[in-house]
Amino acid sequence: MTVDAGKPLPRPERGEVLRRRRARQLTESGIYAFLFLAFAGVALQLVGLALSHQANVTLAVSEPVATSFSRPDIVDRNGRLLATDLKAPSIFADPALVIDRDELVEKLSTVLPDLDAKELRRALEDRSRRFVWVRRGVSPKIAQKVHDLGLPGVSFRDELRRTYPAGRLAGYVLGSVNVDNRGVNGIERYIDEKIGVEAVHSATLSTRPPVRLSLDLGVQHALEDELQSAIALYKTEGAAGLVLNIKTGEVMASASLPPVDPTWPGGARDDRHIDRVSAGTYELGSVFKTLTIAMAFDEGLAQPGTMVDVRQPLEAGRFTVTDFHPADRPLSVTEIFTHSSNVGAGMLALQAGSDRLQAFLRKLGILEQLKVEGATIAQPQVPPVWNRAATITVSYGHGLAVSPMQFAAAAATILNDGKRVEPTFFRTFEAPPANEKPLITAATSRQMARLMRVNVTAPDGTGRQADVPGYRVGGKTGTADIAGRGGYSTKSVISSFLGAFPMDDPQYLTFVILFEPKGVSETGGQRTAGTNAAPVTGKLISRIAAQLGVAPRASSESQ
Amino acid sequence: MRLLNVTAFFFAIASALLLYGLNYETRRLEAEVQLKERTAERARNDIAVLKAERGHLARPERIDQLARQLGLSPPKPDQFEQGREVSELNERRGGSHDR
Repeated sequence: MTVDAGKPLPRPERGEVLRRRRARQLTESGIYAFLFLAFAGVALQLVGLALSHQANVTLAVSEPVATSFSRPDIVDRNGRLLATDLKAPSIFADPALVIDRDELVEKLSTVLPDLDAKELRRALEDRSRRFVWVRRGVSPKIAQKVHDLGLPGVSFRDELRRTYPAGRLAGYVLGSVNVDNRGVNGIERYIDEKIGVEAVHSATLSTRPPVRLSLDLGVQHALEDELQSAIALYKTEGAAGLVLNIKTGEVMASASLPPVDPTWPGGARDDRHIDRVSAGTYELGSVFKTLTIAMAFDEGLAQPGTMVDVRQPLEAGRFTVTDFHPADRPLSVTEIFTHSSNVGAGMLALQAGSDRLQAFLRKLGILEQLKVEGATIAQPQVPPVWNRAATITVSYGHGLAVSPMQFAAAAATILNDGKRVEPTFFRTFEAPPANEKPLITAATSRQMARLMRVNVTAPDGTGRQADVPGYRVGGKTGTADIAGRGGYSTKSVISSFLGAFPMDDPQYLTFVILFEPKGVSETGGQRTAGTNAAPVTGKLISRIAAQLGVAPRASSESQ
Repeated sequence: MRLLNVTAFFFAIASALLLYGLNYETRRLEAEVQLKERTAERARNDIAVLKAERGHLARPERIDQLARQLGLSPPKPDQFEQGREVSELNERRGGSHDR
């Protein structure tokens, strides 16, 4: 035992080292195994992830970039929707995937009867193409039907399509868009040019704030409705009208009939389907006397009581100017206005002279093209030479053709204490700056307002039928012969009524124009403005005055 | 020293795993965002459709007809009370009740 005990013990020492080494090896391999497993796990996960992700990748087809445009909404002054973008499926075909061209075209024709089969077949023959439009912007129902045909090579993609929820209402003002959703005319074109649209590849709705127009949907409808009834009642060829805010220049309503549907603008492309308020110029006739007499007042040439001898017809070059109802006594300027005497207006114009008349009309912006945001106003047609004959005829609205919008702006300026009225189709929230010098004196403006009111209240006034109890309507009639080949026709006339209310402080101006009204039993066979355009204006104002916030007054105070 | 190495090693692995986990989570969140965006887009489209439908149903042409069928018409001047507040109208009506 002692021998054993005295001896050093190398073996256990070596065993200890070995054990330690083995333990270390074990730990190391453990770590390596763990690492291996961990990385293997990561790798497996990655592979799995890559595989699962692969399934979501959509196959990108090399196709021509078909851009569409997303547009802001259009709303009326109270935020009511007039135009918006909606997602609509468009159908396209991939010629490379189409198996039977003829079958495809034939089957598509059953769902889309107006399909141009020849054109589509020709497009599909080119196998190098990968993308051919079949029909853009169809209804979901049609898309489902096409889908149900189960044709190989036919696919769908969503595009934006302009929709007009109010239908044909204010169609001319709104304008229209093309198949790429770009504006081609009216407000839609203005949006493209001034407000901006975004090019989008998919159907992404615009995030821009809506474009707020000055139009009031209710007033617009009342105007279109009354004009429509007038067309039926007086058997006119067309009608137009507008309602203008005199203080701000905002166009509250503007309509031209026959109407246009902004969704299908191509449906009507003849000269009857134009926006007669802005794009047409007309010799408006006697309503122009409003301007002539305002000039006479403003130049200090006459007062409402000034007497003018109108008994003799006025010689004007080749022709003679006579009155519709010749008077057998001298008339006051007020009577010239209420009887609508051509001779009287002509004599006032001659008294002022052609230069002063021209200067006055130029001041009111009648002689140059009017600039209006959101619409293109037709260039006025002015007499080439301002001789004596031209001066006389212009004084009662002939020989000078302007768009109704331009005339309304000038008339509104007269009623707005001479402060220039610039029509706009957009809602304005602040009053226009008042630092501009008035174009005519406030006194002239008040005299004209009184004259227009008298024309409606006087027992012999031409505008009697435009009166609406309580709303102090004033106005001037105009019955213009239409200039045609070989002179003026007395059979076809443009009958119009320039109205305004309330005349103690004119707020709104209305202008109603009837094209070629017939003499019907309601008018006693007449086709003068006093018998048709005036009552239409009366009906219109009785419908819109409350909507426009004009309070009626008891009839005893409303003179 | 060795302990330090081993710890560092474990830290490296742990952070790698963490990173991987984060990456995975990010992808999941991305997918979730995409889903939400798609839902929002669909909701936006639905809103646009509903707005258009509402506009179509509320078009004055239709309301006009419906109102006339109900016997309504544009307000007449005698339906307005000139220059009086609504509260005054109520007072007056209240007064007449007392009598």
